[in-house]
Amino acid sequence: MQNVVFGIVTGSILAVATLGFALVRQTENFLNIAHAQMMALGAFVGVVLVDTYGMNIFLAGAITVVGLGALGVVLSAVFFQPVRHQGGTVLLFTSIGLALMMYAAILALFGTQARFYPDVSGGLHRFAGIGIATNELVIIGLAFGSIAALQIFLNSTGLGRAIRAVASNDDLARVRGVPVRTVSNTIWFISSAFGAMAGVMLGVLGAVNTEIGWHNILIVLAAAVLGGLRSITGVILAGLLLGIMMDVSALFIPTAYRPVVAFGVLVAVLILRPEGILSVQRRKDAVVA
Amino acid sequence: MELVLDTVRKTFGGVVAVDDVSAVMPQDRVTALIGPNGAGKTTLFNAITGFDPPDRGSISFGDQRIDGLPPWRVAELGLIRTFQTPVGFTTLTVRESLLAAATPHFAETPLGALGLSRKARDHERASGDRAEEISAELGMADLLDVRTDELSAGDRKLLEFARSLMAEPKMLLLDEPAAAVAPANIGRLSQLVRRLCDERGLGSLIIDHNLSFLMQIADEVHVLDRGALLASGPPAEIAANPDVMRVYLGEDGAKDSEA
Amino acid sequence: MTNPIFWVGVLTLAAIYASLAMALNVESGWGGMWDLGIAGLLAAGSYCYVILTADPDLGMRFAPGLSMWVAWPLSALFTGLVAFAIGAPALRLRREYFLITTLAFAEIIRQLVVIQADLTRGTLGVPNINRPFDSFVTGRDYNYVLLGIAVAAAAVMYLVTRQIGISPFGRTLRAARDNEAVALALGKRVNRMRIKTFVLAGVLIGATAPVYLFYIRAVSPQLFAPGITFTVWTALVIGGLGSIRGGLAGAFVLIVFTEAVGLIEVDPSHINILVAIEPFMVGLLLVLVLRFRPDGLFSERSAFGAGNRPAGRSAGDSRPAGAAQGSGG
Repeated sequence: MQNVVFGIVTGSILAVATLGFALVRQTENFLNIAHAQMMALGAFVGVVLVDTYGMNIFLAGAITVVGLGALGVVLSAVFFQPVRHQGGTVLLFTSIGLALMMYAAILALFGTQARFYPDVSGGLHRFAGIGIATNELVIIGLAFGSIAALQIFLNSTGLGRAIRAVASNDDLARVRGVPVRTVSNTIWFISSAFGAMAGVMLGVLGAVNTEIGWHNILIVLAAAVLGGLRSITGVILAGLLLGIMMDVSALFIPTAYRPVVAFGVLVAVLILRPEGILSVQRRKDAVVA
Repeated sequence: MELVLDTVRKTFGGVVAVDDVSAVMPQDRVTALIGPNGAGKTTLFNAITGFDPPDRGSISFGDQRIDGLPPWRVAELGLIRTFQTPVGFTTLTVRESLLAAATPHFAETPLGALGLSRKARDHERASGDRAEEISAELGMADLLDVRTDELSAGDRKLLEFARSLMAEPKMLLLDEPAAAVAPANIGRLSQLVRRLCDERGLGSLIIDHNLSFLMQIADEVHVLDRGALLASGPPAEIAANPDVMRVYLGEDGAKDSEA
Repeated sequence: MTNPIFWVGVLTLAAIYASLAMALNVESGWGGMWDLGIAGLLAAGSYCYVILTADPDLGMRFAPGLSMWVAWPLSALFTGLVAFAIGAPALRLRREYFLITTLAFAEIIRQLVVIQADLTRGTLGVPNINRPFDSFVTGRDYNYVLLGIAVAAAAVMYLVTRQIGISPFGRTLRAARDNEAVALALGKRVNRMRIKTFVLAGVLIGATAPVYLFYIRAVSPQLFAPGITFTVWTALVIGGLGSIRGGLAGAFVLIVFTEAVGLIEVDPSHINILVAIEPFMVGLLLVLVLRFRPDGLFSERSAFGAGNRPAGRSAGDSRPAGAAQGSGG
């Protein structure tokens, strides 16, 4: 059971990260490989604010999330907007290029030394023999709080509904006069902010190193694919499930296999149940080309 | 040899697209399949060629059951289809497209690519001659080195037809071969379809909206309406059939002039 | 720092990347299979070679100590087998799902290398890899031998992939990439052909792996992080995906350019910047090429002799293929 709790913590962070990734996938129609570098950047900016400038962790987290959200908007305008008309392939490879550049920026700015957040665990609570630290509770709370806030935003504001319209049918949304530019900026802000938030959370629980991005991109991809790339609830469930699976698997097989489990699950799902992932429309397209 | 459909049925989420169609289409005759839009003509093509297998019923070609076979297997048996929307091999030239259609399996392996097989080289040369011949017959000899995505819609349509001839067919399934083709080329097309049938015994099953084109070249016409077979017979008989006239003039009278 | 030995090394590395990019072009450029698992295949070939030739004294569980001339072809074959094991299931998927699956398989291979430490020495790595002719030529002069080997390998790779590209096999591959439905309707065994192509690319990458090891001299799992896959892809995209010479030209441009920028004098206290230059240059070049010259230096069009659009009848009403994409049934 202890590992299930660890898994829920991991899974909550994963759900936040994946949601940001899936939002872009749904609305801009490409896999943004640079998303995980935003996580790494979040972890570093957060640790620098807390460790070097002695800032309170919550304030540092808030500044990181908002600042990197804004950075995401700028990066999308500089890198993705100009090649948007060239389709998903070019966008995907552009995102790989951007990921490499962000990785280089992280290396240059923060160096290759691992860094650590000061201990903010805030003591251990015990419920029926299961231990959970305060920071872990806060992470779960914040994760689900922000996901719920996103849901409310998408469902009950005009802009949120516009985003959902774009996600379900781009052309239709354009015809109906949705402000595409504003919608796109909002999407990039939310996506990058969620990535940065997941990065700070990962950093708080472990070490901050330059490889965070590359280590997490596949896990995020796995969660996104598992969740079906299209439904928000699916992504949340997939994130949680994957997190729990990775941590629970540690009971049966050596912990070194943890990432292998995630990728193994990904490959198995893709290969055994492609019909669960490919929508009906996609398969029809494949048939009649 | 003939293409035989026996109570073929295909539904899409409760909508019956092909409703228990039974028909016999001789391999060495020209058979037309007509009907208003949404009558299930292309669905029937997809069912025959393995792209979208039927829910029920059987399809056979000669003494071979073909329903449930993958598309490439159906094609290997000699049933070669064209597509309504002529996208084709977008980045290949006309010549490359024609040659690709004619390439035998034994040349399509990595080792075959090394060009060691004399047989493959001879085949390639013969295919090259045939590609020039066929494109000349269809009046597109000057387009041999043009990329497919730079052809006009009409020329792409002709390419669909030319390509299917390169694949050594036993019977052609042509999905609206005359749509968007220039009137002068429709003449060449119908002559060629007729001549292939009369001289070489290569028959076709043709869907088209251009009834005057079809009525000239078809030996037999089948009329589909809302998935079911409404009438079958020689062109003259079909033209005089009041039910067929009603389907066409009543609901879709304008279709004839569209192509 | 215009030391000739430095540039010999740069050219050697460029030739190795050129080989990999040309192999990738066969499956991705012509076959349309977007493989992000190059690192995994390279790892499979490298570790196969290392294990077969390793000094038994290193204490690895299985160390037959084979001659490198036996181990080299065996590594190529083994990598082909690994490619088959990945490709057979993964090729049922299309586009981005295939891409994710290959990336995941590559990471699985790398993690397995780390975990199976008694076979691979895990993160310790294997030092002092045997190199051909190093008993005849020693010291700095060996760098020229190495350059010769790498250039010869790239030349062979060029000839092999070029032959594939211009052959009927390559033509059918491109045809099936452009329009799978039409290829199937002409009786092409599209899936079987793609699996063969994927395995072929595996063999070619596996055959290049030992050359890479001769250059690196010591192997460890970090070498096979996704970064190397992205570098090979960048080289190919710069050169021109689907062209014949693209991989060759792109790799030389990318590697020489990156290494030259690395020569800029940097104060030792800013060592981080030196480390960052390579990924930054690779990323920047990829972004710039995609934006300003998406066909690359050599386009597929120029490679396969499609003439210019004729002024005659088809020019007026032609439209891009994308516009015609739609339901054929």
